[in-house]
Amino acid sequence: MVSVETLFDKVKKWISSFVVGRGYTNMMTGYMTGELQSLVFALILASFFRIFSIPLGMILLVAVIAGIFYFAPIITTLEKENSNDLNRVLFWVVIYFAVIIAVTLWGR
Amino acid sequence: MSAYPSNLWSIPLLVVIPILVAVVVNLIYNRARLIKVISLASAICLALITLFSSYGYHWFTGQPALRPETLTFTFDPGLPAWRLALEFYFGPLQQAMIFIMSLILIFVVAVATSGLTKRQGPYMGMIFLLYASAAIIIMVNDFYHLWIAVEIGSLVVAGVVVGSGTSVSHKAALKYTFFSALSGAGLAIALALILGLTGYPNISDAIMYIQSVNLGEMSIILYVAFGFFVLSWIYAGGLAPIHPLKSEVYGASFPHGTAMLQTQSKLMLVAIGIVMLRVFGNLPFVREVMLAISVITMMLGVVMALIQTDFRWILAYLIVSHSGLVTVGISLGTTEGLVGGIFQAINDVIYMTVLLLCCEALYYFGGKTSTRHSLGLAKKAPWLGVAIILGTMAASGIPPFNGFQSEIILIQASLKAGLPEVAAVILMVSVTTFIALFRAIYRLFLKPPETSEPIVEAKVPMVLHVGLWVLVAITLIIGIYPNIVVSFITPVAEAVSLPWYL
Repeated sequence: MVSVETLFDKVKKWISSFVVGRGYTNMMTGYMTGELQSLVFALILASFFRIFSIPLGMILLVAVIAGIFYFAPIITTLEKENSNDLNRVLFWVVIYFAVIIAVTLWGR
Repeated sequence: MSAYPSNLWSIPLLVVIPILVAVVVNLIYNRARLIKVISLASAICLALITLFSSYGYHWFTGQPALRPETLTFTFDPGLPAWRLALEFYFGPLQQAMIFIMSLILIFVVAVATSGLTKRQGPYMGMIFLLYASAAIIIMVNDFYHLWIAVEIGSLVVAGVVVGSGTSVSHKAALKYTFFSALSGAGLAIALALILGLTGYPNISDAIMYIQSVNLGEMSIILYVAFGFFVLSWIYAGGLAPIHPLKSEVYGASFPHGTAMLQTQSKLMLVAIGIVMLRVFGNLPFVREVMLAISVITMMLGVVMALIQTDFRWILAYLIVSHSGLVTVGISLGTTEGLVGGIFQAINDVIYMTVLLLCCEALYYFGGKTSTRHSLGLAKKAPWLGVAIILGTMAASGIPPFNGFQSEIILIQASLKAGLPEVAAVILMVSVTTFIALFRAIYRLFLKPPETSEPIVEAKVPMVLHVGLWVLVAITLIIGIYPNIVVSFITPVAEAVSLPWYL
């Protein structure tokens, strides 16, 4: 059985591996804070789905936690997806539109 | 109340004056002094009209609501009666919103005419058209004018951004205009579907029809209309996923132009949001969808603001994020939520203008807004340092500034609706706003300069000083006496609100 301390060390080492170079520059502090904020926001957003269905909220919460560990650091992905490239924005608009129609029709 | 309806005198003036000014200043093109006088006088005039006007309707065809028992016409918006009219309505909410917009217009005009050296006429024309489009959307109570004003508003946004004259701003404007084709067409389809379903172009009439007639299987049309309507709402307010384009628009404009753009955008969000709530609010999952979009916008905006390295872009993303704060309240749809959302929009417009005017002042100290280099500006311009810190405190919801009052109402509304997650996100947005802004303030103002290169210093125009301190004072006054604004909002919020079901 893995002790708590060993697991903690492993996670700490894994998170530290994302920090390359000086971890205290102006840019880096912004990214680190952004990463932490994104993680918390993602968890809150997942739990928000409980208003549709509690089991769905629970499943999403677990999925988000797993996703965070798999995809971290997510701030860089967010930054890329946040591009103002027209095609990318159009892609997200289409997805949003489809989800909105689907969710409201489901509610019906 | 008279049996014969008469139009309210102030409503056409609030639309026609800005359009006329736009035409006149375009014609006189580069005559700076004359443009300044006409624009400032008109902006002050608009503020006074808003302040002293009584409440009532302007209808283009049809009639105001007909009181069934006495068969007299009435201006009471709460009365369920057929209006059959293309109309504008000017009430307490419209008064508060248009007055704040007029106030911002006065300072934007004063600052723009002091700083701009060429093409003043067309630029000022665009600023006034922006005002006109927002005023129409705030007052409108029919689908035709709503669509027209949203279309004009989108194009004028592009005009203001292009007026900044850089290649970046041209690119941003072009991208934004591309999407106006999509959302404008979407809104037209939504309105056509509602019109086809109900047969009424008047928004109040259409709502009464939807509520009183069993639509049966035809109700599915309403869901599709809602989808297209949301698309237009997202576009007009720069909510996710359009936010990269909107933040680019904000970042690529002159800071004073951005002040007017964000004012138009937030007030449009409120006006269109209320229409959506009235028309679709009773459909299942509609408010949840609006709420999800708002929360995502808040999150993305504030996180992106954290990783920006230019003060202008930090502000651009924070404006987007705070648009989400506005729409959270509207989406909740409860009385407290609506009061919080609309109050937040008004407060947001004021404190963001403070921060944008501070950003404009940075142009007079060499124009460096990048946070990559420290400038130590606090020594050179302590007044600017104080103003920006006060603006930051207001934006972060720190008492006794106005941001605190609206955010606390929003948090209470979320908790009351049984949504602690939303309250947590609002709190996090407040804290993160403070972090994002203070990172920039520390680099630009507080940290000693890294190079011995002297900071260029030009004389900051007096109007910029006046604008900054008047607006800072307003943030403080509203923060201490929130009822000055809330009393205008509450009656509408009570009339429109729907209970939150959980």
